Amino acid sequence: MHQRLNRFLEAVASLSSRLSPELSLAGTAIPAVDAARPKAANLSALPGAQERSPSASPLVAKGEAAGLSSYPPVEKWDEWEEYDPKAWPERVKRRYMLIPTTCFNCESACGLLGYVDKDSLEIQKFEGNPLHPGSRGRNCAKGPATHNQVYDPERVLYPLKRAGKRGEGKWVRVTWDQVLEDLGERLRKAFQEGRHNQVIYHVGRPGHDGLMEWVLFAWGVDSHNSHTNVCSSGARAGYAFWMGLDRPSPDHANARVVLLISSHLETGHYFNPHAQRIMEAKMAGARLIVLDTRLSNTASLADYWLSPWPGSEAAILLAIANHLIHTGRYDREFVKTWVNWEQYLKAEWPAEPCTFETFEEKLKELYGEYTFEFAAAESGVEAEVIRQVAEEVARCEGKLASHTWRSATAGNLGGWQVARALWFLNVLTGSIGVEGGTSANAWDKWVPRPHKMPPHPDRWNELTWPDEYPLTFYELSILLPHFLKEGRGVIDTYFTRVYNPVWTNPDGMSWMEVLTDEEKMGLHVCLTPTWSETAWFADYVLPMGHAAERHDITSQETHGGRWIAFRQPVRRVALERMGQDVNYTYEANPGEVWEETEFWIELSWRIDPDGSLGIRQYFESPYRPGEKITAVEYFRWMFENTVPGLPEAAAERGLSPLEYMRRYGAFEIRAGVEAPYIQPVEAELLEDAHVDPETRIVYSRAPAPASPNITPHPAFPDDGGGRPVGLQVGDQALRGFDTPSRRLEFYSPTLRQWGWPEHTIPGYIHSHVHPEVIDQQANEFVLIPTFRLPTLIHTRSGNSKWLYEISHKNPLWVHPRDAARLGLRTNDLVRVSTEIGYYVIKAWVTEGIRPGVVACSHHMGRWRLQDTAMERWSSALVDLTPQGEGRWQMRHRQGVLPFESSDPDSKRIWWSDVGVHQNLTFPVHPDPISGMHCWHQKVVLEKARPEDRYGDIYVDTDRAHAVYREWLALTHPASQVSPDGTRRPYWLLRPFRPTRAAYQLPSGKFAE
Amino acid sequence: MNYGFLIDQRKCIGCHACSTACKSENQVPLGVYRTWVKYVEKGAFPNTRRSFQVNRCNHCANPPCVRICPVTAMYQRTDGIVEFDPRVCIGCKACMQACPYDAIYIDPETHTAAKCHYCSHRVEVGLEPACVVVCPEHAIISGDLNDPESEISQLIARQQVSVRKPEQGTAPKLFYIEADEVTLTPTAAPFSDSFVWADLITEQQIPVFHAAPAESLVPGGDGRGAAAQTAYSGVAIRAPSAQGLGREGGPIVIGEGSMAEHMVQTAYNAQHEIPWHWPVPAYLVTKGIGSGIFILLALLFGLNVSAFSQTFALMATLLSLLFIGLTTVLLVVDLERPERFFTILTRPQWKSWLTRGAFILIGFTALAGLWFLLEGGAYLNFLPVSLVGALRPVFLTLGFVLAVLAAIYTGFLFGQAEGRDLWQSALLPIHLVVQALMVAAVVLLVLGQFIAHPVELETALLWTFGASLVVDLFLILLGEFGMPHASEMAARAAHQISHGKYRGSFWGGAVLAGHLLPLALLLLGASGGGFSFGFVMVAALATVAGLYLYEYAFVMAPQELPNS
Repeated sequence: MHQRLNRFLEAVASLSSRLSPELSLAGTAIPAVDAARPKAANLSALPGAQERSPSASPLVAKGEAAGLSSYPPVEKWDEWEEYDPKAWPERVKRRYMLIPTTCFNCESACGLLGYVDKDSLEIQKFEGNPLHPGSRGRNCAKGPATHNQVYDPERVLYPLKRAGKRGEGKWVRVTWDQVLEDLGERLRKAFQEGRHNQVIYHVGRPGHDGLMEWVLFAWGVDSHNSHTNVCSSGARAGYAFWMGLDRPSPDHANARVVLLISSHLETGHYFNPHAQRIMEAKMAGARLIVLDTRLSNTASLADYWLSPWPGSEAAILLAIANHLIHTGRYDREFVKTWVNWEQYLKAEWPAEPCTFETFEEKLKELYGEYTFEFAAAESGVEAEVIRQVAEEVARCEGKLASHTWRSATAGNLGGWQVARALWFLNVLTGSIGVEGGTSANAWDKWVPRPHKMPPHPDRWNELTWPDEYPLTFYELSILLPHFLKEGRGVIDTYFTRVYNPVWTNPDGMSWMEVLTDEEKMGLHVCLTPTWSETAWFADYVLPMGHAAERHDITSQETHGGRWIAFRQPVRRVALERMGQDVNYTYEANPGEVWEETEFWIELSWRIDPDGSLGIRQYFESPYRPGEKITAVEYFRWMFENTVPGLPEAAAERGLSPLEYMRRYGAFEIRAGVEAPYIQPVEAELLEDAHVDPETRIVYSRAPAPASPNITPHPAFPDDGGGRPVGLQVGDQALRGFDTPSRRLEFYSPTLRQWGWPEHTIPGYIHSHVHPEVIDQQANEFVLIPTFRLPTLIHTRSGNSKWLYEISHKNPLWVHPRDAARLGLRTNDLVRVSTEIGYYVIKAWVTEGIRPGVVACSHHMGRWRLQDTAMERWSSALVDLTPQGEGRWQMRHRQGVLPFESSDPDSKRIWWSDVGVHQNLTFPVHPDPISGMHCWHQKVVLEKARPEDRYGDIYVDTDRAHAVYREWLALTHPASQVSPDGTRRPYWLLRPFRPTRAAYQLPSGKFAE
Repeated sequence: MNYGFLIDQRKCIGCHACSTACKSENQVPLGVYRTWVKYVEKGAFPNTRRSFQVNRCNHCANPPCVRICPVTAMYQRTDGIVEFDPRVCIGCKACMQACPYDAIYIDPETHTAAKCHYCSHRVEVGLEPACVVVCPEHAIISGDLNDPESEISQLIARQQVSVRKPEQGTAPKLFYIEADEVTLTPTAAPFSDSFVWADLITEQQIPVFHAAPAESLVPGGDGRGAAAQTAYSGVAIRAPSAQGLGREGGPIVIGEGSMAEHMVQTAYNAQHEIPWHWPVPAYLVTKGIGSGIFILLALLFGLNVSAFSQTFALMATLLSLLFIGLTTVLLVVDLERPERFFTILTRPQWKSWLTRGAFILIGFTALAGLWFLLEGGAYLNFLPVSLVGALRPVFLTLGFVLAVLAAIYTGFLFGQAEGRDLWQSALLPIHLVVQALMVAAVVLLVLGQFIAHPVELETALLWTFGASLVVDLFLILLGEFGMPHASEMAARAAHQISHGKYRGSFWGGAVLAGHLLPLALLLLGASGGGFSFGFVMVAALATVAGLYLYEYAFVMAPQELPNS
């Protein structure tokens, strides 16, 4: 009765809060269904609340009582009964325990609810977790498909060691103990001999926050290598030069204008949570503007789809900026307060009066050339359309939610300026850190500090952070094969984790050449849940858990808010709740599948069993001194100590913080937008502080308190005059931005000091595929090879049968005009030649692409060299034949065929095509500033030749190395330009930041 | 309680989450879908758009699949959900023919029909269907249409909604907000043999439209069929094109789009198996022979065209029974679950013409069989001739009625197939009778080569054969194919038969071999050549083969058109 009353009262409250002027004939208020803003189910209604479909929440009480629920009520999650769907309509009851976890397919970390059958302990299915603040119980196609990955008959279940030559495909099963002993011994030896830099940990999808900072710092290595420069270096650099933080966090839901240079209604960081909120905004009347050369699903739903010539995006954005500037429709007060215009004027126009009016004049001069006509000429988009879009932006009233991540910033030389130009619009409209605007990721992210955080390492690894790229975001991971070929170093032990560089990176053949060279690559350890092209070239293949088989903490800036989510091994949790003792997650996992947290703890323990290397201390339990920490203790301590509000929320429900997270899987730390830059400097920092009279920067000598949140921030050490901690604005000391000027750096002194004076302000750099270098008459085209599909995620979804059934090929998008010129029709074979080779693929003739440009999704073209059980759902069997030194030919032997396995569906595979692996034919194109691999390719198209077969690939790796040298020549190495003898501006973000001493260039390398 | 779905295409982002959530919830095997998302691209660059549409069972208020199901395996619950029971289904696939939305498939594991059942197993524990829960945009709304305050009722009341194929009279309860006509109408968008990211492995397809060279197009206009005639006023006009086929060469295009080959194209869709293949046309032929023989037998003796011949009666009845038996075998063979055939008898659903047909066939077989035994008994002097003779008119009359019903019931069954407009022809029953007489006559003529028929019998058969050939040809050419069709789907199917994939079967098989050749032989024979064994055999084979080819085209062509 009490529950019903509560529910009724809630319904009434929700109604009254959104009383609509519309009244039905009966006079009762009609809920504003269209404008309904779904939100995550409210835990405060617990216990007893019937969790409802979020967006159905405004339904009146009657509907509430009579309607269906989206989820079983939380208080029944331990004991939930449902009818067996296979036996239906016979009513066979099945008993489940519902355990929350987190999806591991893309980076969004959406909530899942694993249905563990209480009788068989099998996982029946995954639904959404309604208590997850980011995904709010809803998922994309990849969420439910997690089940395919867990029950993939082809997954790796036991540790394997190579038996023959590397890459030969011969494996023997080994025990985990053997693996750990071997690796522990090997790494101990390397560390004892000071060969720390020969150990590299290369990760694709981290899937967790904070863990590796803890592990690698404990080892004292600068070993971290990421996939960032095939993904987001361009965008990161653009954002970071502005504000120190390198990632946007748009509050789409409350925006008036959503401006995307991304395809967040179908893919991208954070597809599902963003897509929910973008469409909410659109339904509430926001305008959706999408810049994308190809017709993405996102573009399809946009109010304005702009299909620019690839690389011209910044020209369009600056034309919009110019419109705002010239019509005076920018937030003058915001710009005056928060932009480092004084610094700009003093540096570039010292003779002129340093007033805001001067700056405004300069803005008009600087951007006057970016007329709509200019942008139209560069982009091919009609000037009138750009004008309309500029008008929309001008009308955004400080509520501009914008986003770019891969897309143009990842495609073009100078792509980082696209992000910079986009953020310029947020700056001009004052849409930063406000409701409906865009925040910085770090403001909305929480990475809890572990119980014992090791110090920063005292080493600099030049294999990942080379001299040539002092401003890169981040590691130059794509250049590793070339660095090794050049003899810049060797690798003793190379860990790849959820990473498939042979397939994902450009120039995969060079990766294969290096991975098979045992002199350059001592030992390759592949941590993976499933087979991949890279795992094939490993010495150890170590099976790691999928989303439902591991613990991780994740926190993503999905919206205006802040949350953490807890990925859980759902069977382990179910077993424990049923009273069974589980000491290690692998005990509850299939085969001998481990989770990384336990692996790294165990390995670290074996590297330093006696504590003599100083590593062991970090892996001792905070609860049992001197003993090895368990994974659960590692998380438990954080939940108890470094997640604000969680202990209290747990206590309210009579739970420990760990029990709370076990039960609900997520915790919302803050709802709503909050920006630190307008908050006052913390009182304790102001105790020993002074304000620089000229710059009004507030410096404090108080030591920085250890934050419970270890989300990376720019670093500003105390060089004697205190640390910059804020900005004097009027009579207030506000925190400001994480930049040396504490302001938004329209003008980047860093870029000037580090050798790029021509790029200090938001600008437009001609891409390497600018129309002037494309000879369309010679059948030269720009290839956009970067786009993702809504159903797949790189190579992690190859074992998801439901996803591959929907999408399994990647034809080349060609405009009908170009197709007619080349004599192509849909499904005709076409040869696409790059700088280093070619591939043969089918055409898809469509009006959804700009003439002169072709596009091909990177998601397809998986392959395997042997017909053993290896991702047979999604890979073609190929022959890889050397054609002489550095020349490789790949040819499809057969596509996908049905096969026998424990899953009867494998016999029902009906598709055979798996697409073509185009990335093999791309050379590396590292942007000289951001380090971003500039994905777009200048290609030559021709109808396939008689000898060509579908899927043919040819690559010349010598030529690939030559192209690498050409791009390397564009750089300004630190040793030549560093203003202070350091390798990189210390303040700039750097993951796994070493000590300040390690930033010093070795003597003799510094030119001055 | 009256459950329905609403898909808000304003919000749908085409992410396919509903597709995989459904597969997960209902453990749907590879190759088939209970819900899927169709993509259609339209417009000329840069004004191109991709439209999405979520497809599934419409939970029709008046579900044709339920009406045609012979065993109540497909049924409508009182809460409006159209559900199926795989434990009862015999796998006749009639529901797949009845569904105008391509929503039903045969489950590869159970070999029974399956489709979206509104997750009724969830609904009964108070949960929304899995697709509703997963949808990131809350673009799929489930709920009670009877409750005016439910979200679905309010949206339907306040927004402009549409349904698929309302003209089928199925009263769909799957409503769409802002679904595009190019996705709603299956024939609006052509497709090639592959999609934007998937292959298409299916027999079901509509003609692929190929663009004419750009220079032949008229800018700004329809492009095709440039001025061919002059109106009375002198203005240049286009010649009218074939009725019911839409615009020849593809959908209507606008503006500059007429210059583009791919103005409208299907970019993604689910594929659907064709339910009925060769056994169905074969069954039509054998049933025609079996029923036609008895009709002729009854007519010949009943109307006293010929004196009663016990030998002829016995042989003809035996032939009739054999062919009706063969018919039953073909029917059972074509079931996905043939061992469940008798379910039709144990739990008949009387609205279904499959049920009615089964009972007609059984009734006919029983009656004809009993009569055969009686006449046989009399023939072998086990039974008094007088008794048999007295019963004879009763058997002939009842047998005649049942034979006619056996011949024509398929017309009513095809009429129940809401998904195949071509089959829904009012001419079909009469056509089936004529076909039955035509093949039966020629088969009996063949019989006459073994047991000499009395002259008047032979003559009557020849006349029947000739007349039915003429009438059938008339029905085919002028009735089924000469007469314009009421719907585009029927017109397209007819076009496929007369001008498309089946034109060889149709003109060469059905018309030439099946009618013109036997007619020529008849004329030759009648004009003095006589009817030798070879002559009759050729005529019979040509007629039967022609009928089979005709029925094959007639059965297959409509099934190859997409209903989604």
